[in-house]
Order: sequence, then C-alpha cells, then structure tokens
Amino acid sequence: MMKLFGQLAHLFFPRESNNHKAKILHPSSLVILTFALIFYQVILAFLPQYGPRVLGYAANISADEVIRLTNEKRVAVGLAPLQLNPTLSQAAQAKGVDMLNKDYWAHTAPDGTQPWKFFIDFGYKYRYAGENLARDFSNASSAVDAWMASSSHKENMLSSKYKEIGIGVVEGDLAGVDTTIIVQFFGSTYADTVPISPVAKVAPKVIPSPKPIVLATPQPTAPPTPISRVLISPFNSTKGISLATVGLLLGVLVVDGVVTSRRRIVRIGGRTFAHLAFLGMILAIALILKAGQII
Amino acid sequence: MKNFAKHLPHYLALFGVLIIGALAFYLFSYDRSFQTAVAIAVAIAYVAWGTVHHSIHRDLHLAVFIEYLLVAALGLVIIFSLIFRT
Repeated sequence: MMKLFGQLAHLFFPRESNNHKAKILHPSSLVILTFALIFYQVILAFLPQYGPRVLGYAANISADEVIRLTNEKRVAVGLAPLQLNPTLSQAAQAKGVDMLNKDYWAHTAPDGTQPWKFFIDFGYKYRYAGENLARDFSNASSAVDAWMASSSHKENMLSSKYKEIGIGVVEGDLAGVDTTIIVQFFGSTYADTVPISPVAKVAPKVIPSPKPIVLATPQPTAPPTPISRVLISPFNSTKGISLATVGLLLGVLVVDGVVTSRRRIVRIGGRTFAHLAFLGMILAIALILKAGQII
Repeated sequence: MKNFAKHLPHYLALFGVLIIGALAFYLFSYDRSFQTAVAIAVAIAYVAWGTVHHSIHRDLHLAVFIEYLLVAALGLVIIFSLIFRT
C-alpha cells in the first residue's frame, strides 16, 4: 500500500525522487501520453474493419422535429414556412439509403449520381432544389443549429426560393460506424414560382441536372441492418479521454506550481502559468466541440 | 506568482492569443479546415511565446524548448482527434 502511494506521489507530486517535478510532467511522460492518445485513435480507426462492430452514435431524431425547427428559423427572419412534401421526403429517404448502401458521405455518390437524380426519380419537377446533409448528431436541434452556423447551409434553409421540404432520416452502418444520417431536401416546382428561366438552386459544390426527366417512381431500398448494440461512441469516448488527460495535467500543474513556489524550488523548465493557460484553452475547446458533421 | 507579476505583459499577450483561439473554435464550429488552421497557429504561437519569453529571461535551454514543444504537440493531438471525430 505504501509502495503504491509512493509511486502515485512520484507520478503526481514534486519530490526528490522525481527531481522536484511530478513525473507525469517530464518530457518522457508527455511523449507517452501523446502516443497513447494517438494509439487510441488508431484503435478507433481500425476497429470497424478488424474488430467487433461496437462503434456508433446513439440518436433520437424525428423528421417532423427537423421540419418544425427549420420552419421556426424561417419564420424568425420573416419567411414563409416550408410545406412538407411527401414526395420530397421519399426522395430524401432514398438518398440516405443510397449513402448507406454505397458507403459514402457526400452530395455526389462515388458513381457520379447527383442529389437531383433522386428528385427526378420520384417525379418531383423542381424549379429550384437544394440539399443539406448531417450525420452523427444526437438530436434534431443540434443538427439544425449546425446547419445554421454554416453560411451555405443557412442560405439553403432561409432561401425564399424554396416552398417545400422533405426530410429523410436513415440509420445504419457508414464506414463501420453505426450512425444516423439526416437528408434535408428543399424544392419548389414550376407551379410554385413565377415562370422565368429555370435555374436550380444548388447545395454547395453540386451541379444540378440540366434536364429534369420524370422516370418511374422507385421505392427506397432497405438500408443495411443497423448494429443492434452500440457500446462506444467514437467522439464521446475521445472527448472523455481528452478531458480526463487535460484535467489530470491541469491538476498536477496547479499542485506543482504551489509546491515549487512555497518551497522556493528553482529548476530549469517551462512556466507553469503558461502551461496552465495553454491546457486551459485545450480544455475549453474540448468542451466546445460537439459530435456531428454537416456537408 | 512573483514571476507572473514581473512578466505580466508577456502573459497578457499569451492569454490574448489563447482566448482568440478558443473563441475562433466557438464561432467557427463545424468548419474543420479553419479550426485545424487555428489549432496549428495557436500551437506555433505558444512555442514561439515560450522561446521568446525564456530567451528574454535568459533561461532558454533545449529542455525548456522541448517541454513547450511537447505540451503543444499533446494539445494538437487532443484537438485534432476531436475535430476529426466530429
């Protein structure tokens, strides 16, 4: 017991055995900590391919809530709310299923399929069309907030050109991680708008199909079966480990600073205040960052 | 504490850089490339601050420089691992 206490003191408390500087603050320990964090990321990267499929993001997202929140934002800036169009929702659902089946996270599929194909396939004769995508969010509110924080996505959400909305929410395996994808389709038909020369409003970096042709309405194919048990969230586990590491170092630095100041220990090393400030910023950033991606 | 008061302008400059860095992360959430650039810039500024500060204080040694470098590297690894998991 005393031996364990001694080892912990050696690791976290400045004393003679560690040259009056907690061992965890020594360069060798910092290198070990850094590589341990990198190693954890390597595990997370390779686990979906070679290990048990336990990575995933738990989510509770309803399409109705996404529409409600979107319309709330529009009404707040004096725009008319968007009308739910079931055809657009079917098309959005099909786009989400396509992403899971072909395992991609982009506006354009690896085979070159544009988002507008889904509008056309389901018989939606668009005059203007737009697409927002989100994944890994735990709820609708955080996804909508993320879109609003991005100028290009916000432009889609608050465009007066769109009259209708369709939402697809699909859950499944994307690159080995169980996740929920939200597909937000915006549109307006020729009947909705004043007939001027047709221009499709596009999502960022996506070129619309020039000649919309209505084909037979397809039915969305079933997405891959979701993982039944989600044990580890890659983001939350990384965040937890990061916060624990930074918190531990901050605590040890405070103790180290107080002890060396009281004992008037002079040593060659960095400034404790500077390290505290830098790691404090890292802690703040770790707390600010939230799970979820948008494109 | 005595050292802190003596070099208050140095620390104010460092705190300014770090606060701007944290604010940038908050204001440009979900902009990965910008956040990556901010993280690298702040880490470089931190190491530069340490080098200049110790140089002025005439106690700049290789061990001190490496210490700042390692703390900055640890911070970068933490930020990157979170940015690219979002």
